[in-house]
Amino acid sequence: MTGWLVARLGRALGAAWLIASLVFMVSRALPGGPEQQALPEAGDLSRPTASMVSAASQAASQQALRQRLGLNLPLFYVTRGPGPRGQWQWHGAANQYHAWVRSLLHGNWGYSYRNGQPVLALVRPALATTLPLASAAALLAAGLALLLALYLARTPGGWWQQLVWAGLSGLQVMPLFLLALGLLLLLANPDVLNLLPAAGQAPPDSTAGQLAGYWLARAALPLLSLVLAVLPELTLPLAAALRHETQAGYATTARAKGLTAAQVLRRHALPNALLPLLTTFTDLLPTLAAGVVVVEVLFALPGTGRLLAEAAAAHDYPLVVAGVLLTAGARLLALVLADVLYLLLDPRLRPTA
Amino acid sequence: MKYFWLGSLFALLGGACSSPPAKLTSAPVRIRWVRDPETLDPLALPNQSAVDASNLLHLSLLQVDYEKNAYAPALAAGWPQLSYQGDSLTLVHYELRSAAAWDDGHPVLASDIDFTLKLMHCPGLPNENSREQYGFIRQVRIDAANPRRFTLVCRSRSAETAAISGDFPVLPEASLDPAHTLRRLPLATLQDWPATRPPDPAVAAVVQRYQRANLARQPSHLPGCGPYRLASWQPNHEVRFERKAHWWADKLPAPPLVLQARPHALVYEILPDDAAAALALRRHDIDVYPQVPARIFKQLQAAPTAKEDFVFYTKQSYDILMVGFNTQRATLRDRRTRLALSRLLDPVGLLAATQLGQGARTVGLLPPGNQFYNDSLPLPTYAPAQAMTLLQQAGWHRGADGHWRQAGSAAPLAVALRYRAEDATFATVGLQFQAAAAQVGIAVTLLPGESTVISSYLQAGDFDMYVRLIKGSPLGLNFATILHSQAIGAGNFTRFGRPDTDRLLEAIATEGNLPRKRRLLRRFQALLQEEMPLLPLFFLPYRLAASRQLQHVVASRLKPGYTAAALAWPATPAPAH
Repeated sequence: MTGWLVARLGRALGAAWLIASLVFMVSRALPGGPEQQALPEAGDLSRPTASMVSAASQAASQQALRQRLGLNLPLFYVTRGPGPRGQWQWHGAANQYHAWVRSLLHGNWGYSYRNGQPVLALVRPALATTLPLASAAALLAAGLALLLALYLARTPGGWWQQLVWAGLSGLQVMPLFLLALGLLLLLANPDVLNLLPAAGQAPPDSTAGQLAGYWLARAALPLLSLVLAVLPELTLPLAAALRHETQAGYATTARAKGLTAAQVLRRHALPNALLPLLTTFTDLLPTLAAGVVVVEVLFALPGTGRLLAEAAAAHDYPLVVAGVLLTAGARLLALVLADVLYLLLDPRLRPTA
Repeated sequence: MKYFWLGSLFALLGGACSSPPAKLTSAPVRIRWVRDPETLDPLALPNQSAVDASNLLHLSLLQVDYEKNAYAPALAAGWPQLSYQGDSLTLVHYELRSAAAWDDGHPVLASDIDFTLKLMHCPGLPNENSREQYGFIRQVRIDAANPRRFTLVCRSRSAETAAISGDFPVLPEASLDPAHTLRRLPLATLQDWPATRPPDPAVAAVVQRYQRANLARQPSHLPGCGPYRLASWQPNHEVRFERKAHWWADKLPAPPLVLQARPHALVYEILPDDAAAALALRRHDIDVYPQVPARIFKQLQAAPTAKEDFVFYTKQSYDILMVGFNTQRATLRDRRTRLALSRLLDPVGLLAATQLGQGARTVGLLPPGNQFYNDSLPLPTYAPAQAMTLLQQAGWHRGADGHWRQAGSAAPLAVALRYRAEDATFATVGLQFQAAAAQVGIAVTLLPGESTVISSYLQAGDFDMYVRLIKGSPLGLNFATILHSQAIGAGNFTRFGRPDTDRLLEAIATEGNLPRKRRLLRRFQALLQEEMPLLPLFFLPYRLAASRQLQHVVASRLKPGYTAAALAWPATPAPAH
């Protein structure tokens, strides 16, 4: 089991490395580099100049910037010269990829092109916002999904059950942006209900208790948006699986032995119906870690989703690659976690079985 | 219990609709920023938020007076005097205010100006922008008798040399180069230093010290001479500035607007979404919402308590929405074809559709009301019939299939229009043009794209037409950057340029005599309409919404559209409604 786990983790790390390397190469090959973002827009008249910005002077500025950021080095150990018949050239260790790998092995994830700050120093506080939010959303959504699925799997379905089913189906087709905006306009709007804060800070003289209360209230809307967004994805398949399991022979036997419908669902159908849900749930983790960008933009939260989206728009490669490593790592770890949980819950899948 | 719940709900709703509590004078002024400043390094300043922050922490020789929309002396004691040396050098004579001092009490001296200009040319620092901007200043001659008096020797004869020579944040030499090691290296030597040659040891030491100071995140590591200090910064969330208790300009008897700093604290809330920012204003989480989009502005004005809570300002900005033509494309080389296509754009309709009709149409690149505006020219209008006549004059013939072709060519007239996808205004222009062109038999392909990709295409000349926003300014009238033949491949996307037009643009940039300058600029605007390398559609408005309680709100035509340091809460708070 340990050997299997080590091999699985090793494969996951290798895959994460490959993905990050690919992104490293591709990002630098894209048209329009960081110099397009860092230097003033060509033809901007808002800052009058004494001398004309010619193509040559602009190229000189771009070259100086590329040199400062280390982008003047060849991209990889071997590169092909320009033109259709360009020659392959060997550059040795003096290339961008080698410098990146060497820094990474020393624990240095690089420096942001935009402000020269260490990438980890930027990612860490953003994770401190996103991780609690995403974890709380995942746990709340999982708990709610469990309760709702047990309710929806009951027969016969009443009027309320139909309504919940329809509501969840409606939520499933609603884009997260629309959902979050709807909640914002409903619950943080002076014209409707001004119940929850959506921006700003707690007053500077707040006590620890008030501060905690403020942040709980501040997190309510983003949390609600995320929970409602993932709830149908978790609930509807689980409810369907539960209904399927209740038709199975063992469920009939259990009922014949005198168990109530609720007992059959909880004790017998649920353990079997939960298995497929594990993959869905573990898939949610990386989605929540990097995919909360919409919620972070709308509710002005300084999380990783926003950090990485802005980095991508600004061609801030070191941050983008770190974000990809983070997301890929989370996804691969989630897959490993799903495998481990499967093995624990279903003995038939164990290597020795 | 049921009634208690209902009662609570009504109480909440009632509370929501009530006016904000009166603010104390010491209360912070909360302002919306659309994005994080990213870095507070005074040499970099990559976005408007960073520029706003820099104006609070540092001072320049001249700063923008947002009330007059012109530069005004800040660290400089008065407007600089100009003299000329030879054919190409302008000497700008400055004297610093005697009261100007750093936080540590040391006076601001000419040697600090010299040092700051040298920092702009030290390799390894994020100074590429300022190097390009201030590379025309070749020498700082410090008066031996007065350490506050100096002369900037500028390689320029531009009429605006004085104004543009003093708008950079000044940094203290004593903190970064206490041994004055850079003084032995003339500014020109640093400017001409070959990129391949290792930097001078003195330069390397200063660069190391500068990098260690980490001004990008910790500007307080260096004494400043601006009125505020950075109190806290939560990236992508909130930046807080606090007023210095003892600031040198407080001693001035009648400080000008650029040296006024009233709020005890300024808090910038970073709210990227416009709808969320509007709600934050309605909920009084912020007090100032600058650069309000048209749709949100209308909604805010229509809100039930808007008139009691907020004041709304609209100022015509210097930002021009324009459509450009690639004058080197075979189909667009004839000016009559460009003129014909320009008649298919509807500035009046577009102004109404995208800006609530606010903003100003223009005949050229100057705003109406400017002293150089050519009011004898007609405003561009939507005229499809005229477009067809012009196409015929340019040698195009409309076939039975409705498309236009030139003799000997089977390819019909068709154009591709590039624009940045993130701005809905550009897309509206594209769609209007496409619909109008389709009616006269011209196929238009819309090619929206990511901003840096679009910039690359435009600089490489890979386009037929483009929609763009030119950020303008009244502070200089140098259009060579966008229309001179030497700027092709840089800022001249239209690739327009002839020897005579180049001479005209150069003359405009250097002419100091007002009547002659007026004649040149009027000719320039007429030339734009004749040759049509680009069509200015209209000047955009800046919209500002601010709390009604705030005093001294200076709404400006220049970005950011207001003066943060001038704002104040009333000394005697007005009673809450």
